[in-house]
Amino acid sequence: MSNQKKRNFQIEAFKHRVVVDPKYADKTWQILDRAIHQIYNQDASGLSFEELYRNAYNMVLHKFGDKLYTGFIATMTAHLKDKSKLIEAAQGGSFLEELNKKWNEHNKALEMIRDILMYMDRTYIESTKKPHVHPMGLSLWRDNVVHSPKIHARLLNTLLDLVHKERTGEVIDRGLVRNVTKMFMDLGESVYRDDFEKPFLDASSEFYKVESMEFIEACDCGDYLKKAEKRLTEEIDRVGHYLDGKSEDKITSVVEKEMIANHMQRLVHMENSGLVTMLLNDKYEDLGRMYNLFRRVTSGLATVRDVMTSHLREMGKQLVTDPEKSKDPVEFVQRLLDERDKYDKIISTAFGNDKTFQNASNSSFEYFINLNARSPEFISLFVDDKLRKGLKGIADADVEVVLDKVMMLFRYLQEKDVFEKYYKQHLAKRLLSGKTVSDDAEKSLIVKLKTECGYQFTSKLEGMFTDMKTSEDTMRGFYGSHPELSEGPTLIVQVLTTGSWPTQPAVPCNLPAEVSVLCEKFRSYYLGTHTGRRLSWQTNMGTADIKAIFGKGQKHELNVSTFQMCVLMLFNNSDRLSYKEIEQATEIPAPDLKRCLQSLACVKGKNVIKKEPMSKDIGEEDLFSVNDKFTSKFYKVKIGTVVAQKETEPEKQETRQRVEEDRKPQIEAAIVRIMKSRKILDHNNIIAEVTKQLQPRFLANPTEIKKRIESLIERDFLERDNTDRKLYRYLA
Amino acid sequence: MGNSKDRIKFNVGGRIFETTSTTLANAGRDSFFGALFDDDWNLSPPPTKQDHLFFIDRNPDCFAVLLDLLRTGDLNLPATIPERLLHREASFYGLLRHVRTARWGPFDGNRLRLSDSVKGIAPGDGTAVRAGPDGGCCVAHGSVVHVFDWMLEEHCPINLDYQRVNDVGWIDSDNIVLSACEKLGRGDGGMGLFSSSTGDLRYKFQVCHENQVKSYTAGALSFNQDYKIFSSCKGRSNEYGIGVWDQITGKQTDFFYESTGWSLGDADKLQWLNGLNCLLVATLFPRKDNCYISLLDFRDKNMVWSWSDIGSPMAIDEKRVRDAIAMEDSSSICVVNEFEDLGFIDLRMYGGSVRWSSRSRLMKSKMPDEPCYPKLALHEGQLFSSMNDSISVFCGPDWVLTSRLRRSYGGSICDFSIGGDRLFALHSEENVFDVWETPPSPII
Repeated sequence: MSNQKKRNFQIEAFKHRVVVDPKYADKTWQILDRAIHQIYNQDASGLSFEELYRNAYNMVLHKFGDKLYTGFIATMTAHLKDKSKLIEAAQGGSFLEELNKKWNEHNKALEMIRDILMYMDRTYIESTKKPHVHPMGLSLWRDNVVHSPKIHARLLNTLLDLVHKERTGEVIDRGLVRNVTKMFMDLGESVYRDDFEKPFLDASSEFYKVESMEFIEACDCGDYLKKAEKRLTEEIDRVGHYLDGKSEDKITSVVEKEMIANHMQRLVHMENSGLVTMLLNDKYEDLGRMYNLFRRVTSGLATVRDVMTSHLREMGKQLVTDPEKSKDPVEFVQRLLDERDKYDKIISTAFGNDKTFQNASNSSFEYFINLNARSPEFISLFVDDKLRKGLKGIADADVEVVLDKVMMLFRYLQEKDVFEKYYKQHLAKRLLSGKTVSDDAEKSLIVKLKTECGYQFTSKLEGMFTDMKTSEDTMRGFYGSHPELSEGPTLIVQVLTTGSWPTQPAVPCNLPAEVSVLCEKFRSYYLGTHTGRRLSWQTNMGTADIKAIFGKGQKHELNVSTFQMCVLMLFNNSDRLSYKEIEQATEIPAPDLKRCLQSLACVKGKNVIKKEPMSKDIGEEDLFSVNDKFTSKFYKVKIGTVVAQKETEPEKQETRQRVEEDRKPQIEAAIVRIMKSRKILDHNNIIAEVTKQLQPRFLANPTEIKKRIESLIERDFLERDNTDRKLYRYLA
Repeated sequence: MGNSKDRIKFNVGGRIFETTSTTLANAGRDSFFGALFDDDWNLSPPPTKQDHLFFIDRNPDCFAVLLDLLRTGDLNLPATIPERLLHREASFYGLLRHVRTARWGPFDGNRLRLSDSVKGIAPGDGTAVRAGPDGGCCVAHGSVVHVFDWMLEEHCPINLDYQRVNDVGWIDSDNIVLSACEKLGRGDGGMGLFSSSTGDLRYKFQVCHENQVKSYTAGALSFNQDYKIFSSCKGRSNEYGIGVWDQITGKQTDFFYESTGWSLGDADKLQWLNGLNCLLVATLFPRKDNCYISLLDFRDKNMVWSWSDIGSPMAIDEKRVRDAIAMEDSSSICVVNEFEDLGFIDLRMYGGSVRWSSRSRLMKSKMPDEPCYPKLALHEGQLFSSMNDSISVFCGPDWVLTSRLRRSYGGSICDFSIGGDRLFALHSEENVFDVWETPPSPII
């Protein structure tokens, strides 16, 4: 516009009108400012939303967005400062209520202010990347109220005080506390965490530190655990009632640390109420509680497990090494089984079938069962006892249960081959004397052994059963081909395969003529049907049923051993015989003969023979005659042989020696197997590998392995390396 | 429903409107009406005063249009109301989003209508057009990027001070990534993050080689759903390859070095393949004498698939690949030559050859004065290819030509882009871009 024109036309007044009122922004802001005041004073009913919205809109539209934004912040700040003064002034208990009330008012006001400033929120703030109205209002509240110096600490202390009161049993206004903690959460996660949660956790930690010290002085372990459990559930409930869900893990970990982790050792070892007492008294509930609480803290379960293991080992050690207890093998094994049942039950009911506890219990049993070298023998004897009579009248399912339990113990054994040896002996006795109660039970146990240790372990045991079966068939065939033998004594022969059965040196003995004739007939029958075999009589293992008529005509059937039969048959021809005469006539070895005479003459009620002089022991000079006065209310009389069920000391040595003998080839086989695949190996590795390979059967002795290696070197299976003497080479 | 309590009367700029609060509820809480009828304001008319009027000091004609928008969801703008006025009013009421969703329907390549053309100021030779996520777009032109919102109003341009822009990409509706040539001796260039509303530089992405920051030229860009940015890079001292940055931290996270005899740093096109978890990198004639297409797996730094036309016999009509796009659904790569013949390479075979479908031999006869090489795009099972002044749409398993978008003004199409349910086509001669939209769905 040129000056020329300006001079021509007076348009000054018009110009003034077009220019926006310079006070426009201030005036508009005044209106909005007043409205904000009214909203805060809950006097909004007279306000026109449309007008306020339009004013805010116009301010932004005319580029006064910045003024509007800073103005709103300033006004709100001023208001919040006033509010915080009012809150500060609140006395005692009304403090929290006042705060909560003002917070609710602020929220409502903030909502309305946001509505008025909605256009600014959407355009001006959006493009300038400043905080939106609502979050801004929250941070203003945080800075001016929550963080105001006179409120900050007081608020926290009030809250913590309330929590403390509730912990000590008072009833508090949970709704109020919930509202306040909700305020913290609304102000942002970091506000909740720093201004409330952290101090709360610290206070809790302090509280439980003191309380746990009091408890542990005053209570026994069980009660303490009950209290700890109660506190834990209380804290979890508290989180549900008025804290943020994310605090649950943190507060429980505080309780766990203060109440459990810090007193773990003391609790476990507490005199007269600690873990050991609980185990001894079968306190399943307390144990379960301990497990559940200790599981929450690091190394808690390990502590429980260690104490349980050492207790179990100690207890087991006493059990197996107590000489009194080893007197009765059945009782001994029964005790072991009872202990196992007990710990099984503890682990399943109280320890949630925790695998690590099962392993700990297993390794403890393995440890102490093997402390007693006679454990394999005892377990075999226990089985023997059960299979002889113990299982009578028990259902099949229960039989299985007993056998399974025995198998558990068997698994613990390191010297499984020793067990095998004994088991074979006991089984042989059972089979030959026909004492087995149930073939099914026998076979079931063998199947179990087979699954446990493999075919090799049980092949001989199975062979024994086969022998019994074929012997039956052979006898049927024998009597079928000799019909004339139905008259006279009946001979039942069991043909045993050498090797399958526990070998005992065949003891020679002179059989009575009637019997030896039959034996000869059988021998020729058997050798006639089977070629290339050799029979030798194991008279020490046989039995006989003989009919006897005593002086006054009493008829009895006597069930005796073969040796006893030989002795008794002598009295068919003479009334009185001396020890020497009997010995000469029968050729029974002296110890056996003595035992045999003892059982015939000295057992009360079964003394079919009289002995002079009357004494317990058999002397070389004694005289024997038929006891005509013998009476018994039974027709059948069983004359037992005086035998120690348990092995005598020399017998034990012998078994042991046989086991050692049997191990030698197994060790050698293992060495050769390993060397064949490895070709060169040093000494330590051989020992390690051999031990590992033989583990399922027995624990190989390193010195024995060394001896075997030397023997193999002598026999040119292996050689020592020329340069390194520790190395062995396999010679193909 | 027809309850009289539900009825509300307005006096807007002198005209009386009557509607229901149910209709107004369609506006949502974050709008003028949402706030107006919030309980806090206690403004709902007292039941006794049936004829209570709310006064609003706004344009009644626009109010009528917006009220109909809330009633029907359709936008019917009379010729008498300028668009900008309506947008202004909608912005006052907080209904801009409603207007935007009513303007055009979900994208369908076969139903597109030309809705607008926007003319640039400078003539010719735009580099690229990129559709934004909410219907806006940006046009790279020399060293300037012009940014348009969905109302097609131009914002502050992004000015790069004489560095040539190679590629542009939208991270979200407010952030744009630019890749630019390095300017010798200045250490500039590379990649930057800019605000789409103000054009300000927000962040500069750096490349490090052996813990040293190097200047580089950034080429083609691509993004993936894990907030990664990929760019082909050429450094000063033979650091050629593909750089990877994290969108959140802005830090370089990886670099795939180009192996000898292959080309990555010069790539024209990057495409992230979600299903295969690979990046397609294509360097095409005439940037190099030969074409190289490869798939990179960044997890084990492996080139899992590659194709090149080195050594393939040159036919008389010289079919050379000018653009490539991977189609994961059919496990193939679609390529196009300068005659807009489509070809396909099987991704499941290593070292396969191009199966050309010689469809459009007719095109060859009338080449325009200033030809533009064809470009390809894929959108929800539809394949788009630009050639001269038109864009072809192919559908179905055999990629049959189903539509062609053409406008005879502005010369050849040098680039096009699909996004925010719109297609933008940039013409080379007049620097004009067309906006194609799908009309709202029919009434029945």
